[in-house]
Amino acid sequence: MNFVTFEMWLEGVPDWILALPDWLQNFMYQFYQTFIFEQRYMLFLNGLKITAIVTVGALAMGIVLGLIVAIIRTSNDSFVSRKPPFILRIFNAICKIYLTVIRGTPMMVQLLIMGFVIMVPKTETEIIVCAIVTLGINSGAYVAEIARSGLMSIDAGQSEAARSLGLSYFKTMWYVVIPQAIKNILPALGNEMITLLKDTSLVSVIALRDVTKQAQNIVSKTYQAYVPYISLAAIYLAIVMLLTWLLSLLERRLRKSDR
Amino acid sequence: MTDKQVLIKVEGLQKDFGEKKVLQGIDIEIDQGDVVVVIGPSGSGKSTFLRTLNLLEVPTGGRIFFEGVDITDKTVDINLHRRKMGMVFQQFNLFPHMTVLGNMTLSPIKVLKMPKAEAEKKALSLLARVGLADRAESYPGQLSGGQKQRVAIARALCMDPDVLLFDEPTSALDPEMVGEVLDVMKQLAANHTTMVVVTHEMGFAREVGNRVLFMDEGKIAEEGAPTDIFGNPQSDRLKEFLSKVL
Ligand SMILES: Nc1ncnc2c1ncn2[C@@H]1O[C@H](COP(=O)(O)OP(=O)(O)OP(=O)(O)O)[C@@H](O)[C@H]1O
Ligand SMILES: [Mg+2]
Repeated sequence: MNFVTFEMWLEGVPDWILALPDWLQNFMYQFYQTFIFEQRYMLFLNGLKITAIVTVGALAMGIVLGLIVAIIRTSNDSFVSRKPPFILRIFNAICKIYLTVIRGTPMMVQLLIMGFVIMVPKTETEIIVCAIVTLGINSGAYVAEIARSGLMSIDAGQSEAARSLGLSYFKTMWYVVIPQAIKNILPALGNEMITLLKDTSLVSVIALRDVTKQAQNIVSKTYQAYVPYISLAAIYLAIVMLLTWLLSLLERRLRKSDR
Repeated sequence: MTDKQVLIKVEGLQKDFGEKKVLQGIDIEIDQGDVVVVIGPSGSGKSTFLRTLNLLEVPTGGRIFFEGVDITDKTVDINLHRRKMGMVFQQFNLFPHMTVLGNMTLSPIKVLKMPKAEAEKKALSLLARVGLADRAESYPGQLSGGQKQRVAIARALCMDPDVLLFDEPTSALDPEMVGEVLDVMKQLAANHTTMVVVTHEMGFAREVGNRVLFMDEGKIAEEGAPTDIFGNPQSDRLKEFLSKVL
């Protein structure tokens, strides 16, 4: 049995609840149905775990992918008076296509295509991987533009000074340009992480049991949408506010080292 | 005096930016121990000339030999040669996210693979030479312009370069800080460090340079000892230029 009627619930509650107004009793009943009956809070917790895994995984993939694309695009653009080498022009063209396609199509459609045309995952683990890959590829396109603006914000004199000391292009990027660029783009990256967290709610279309999907499941069992969905919103909001706060702490610390 | 050794030899150097011909055939030999001062009107190609010497600008034509190697040859690993050519910029270009010591030891550690302790010891002794021994742990943002430029010079010296290239090292400084930087450069010249200096400091050119190049419209229009260039200029362009800056 996965359903309790209001009357059945009333029989089992302490007397003081019977004295409460109807609407409050009703709310408590729905809360019971949503979270406590059959230990449904575990569904939310499991869903949150998957949401967290997908967010962190996709963010990591997005940052790596975005940084690679940004470095290719900026180094291609750094050839002003000469044509860039052939290989670089090929890579640059691939990056441009990637950015255009990913930013020009909805995330939902990308998930449908990855989930039902390209990867077609079967097990839960495969679905998680599919979600991370899809969101990571999507996020990479946005991180790439963030990272590109970060790299371009670093004065050309910085890399000239590094190159004149004999550092190679990659050492110059790694020790001089990227550390400064990351500091500049941290706020934008934080926003990207928050967007990504919210976008993970779309993975329910490939049947991944993230926190949104779990809330939907509960609604389909109880036929009551109010408490599950409002709670879902509250959960996302709480996490976003926590992340925003953590980011502001981080930014303040970075600014301190600037002096 | 023994025979001078040629350190840099430039042959028919040309540089175009698109349609614009900025360097139009430069030939010069720079010997070990030379202090070459480059002067000339704005836009005459002084910075471009200096920057082509370590290939920060890739020449469109001509050749540059550094210690006998043609560094314009595409098969040459330029990083190997840049280690031996220090460069000091008008805007200092210190790395703001590293301490003074971090700035100075980055390349010795990462490029020359020098042990950290050794690199730091060397950096500290060079800092002492430019009078900043107590600023090793400071960040560039905490230094004055003159101090930044002295650190930049010390940073270049950490690589034991065979030549130092200066592009208007004092032009971004408040007047009261110009002296401290020029003093460091004079000290280097006194130690027979080979230097190529683009500057508007005519006093420095006269006092410290042993050769002066006057550049005009992408060419070396006149060249000679400071006494000749300043005391007995030949071309009208140089006379006109000197009448404006002196
Ligand atoms: N990256 C570039 N792209 C296009 N044109 C350039 C570039 N760098 C320099 N130029 C042009 O080349 C010419 C020479 O510039 P350069 O900086 O070498 O002059 P300069 O003698 O150093 O002048 P200044 O005394 O003002 O520093 C100028 O007309 C400049 O506009
Ligand atoms: Mg210049």
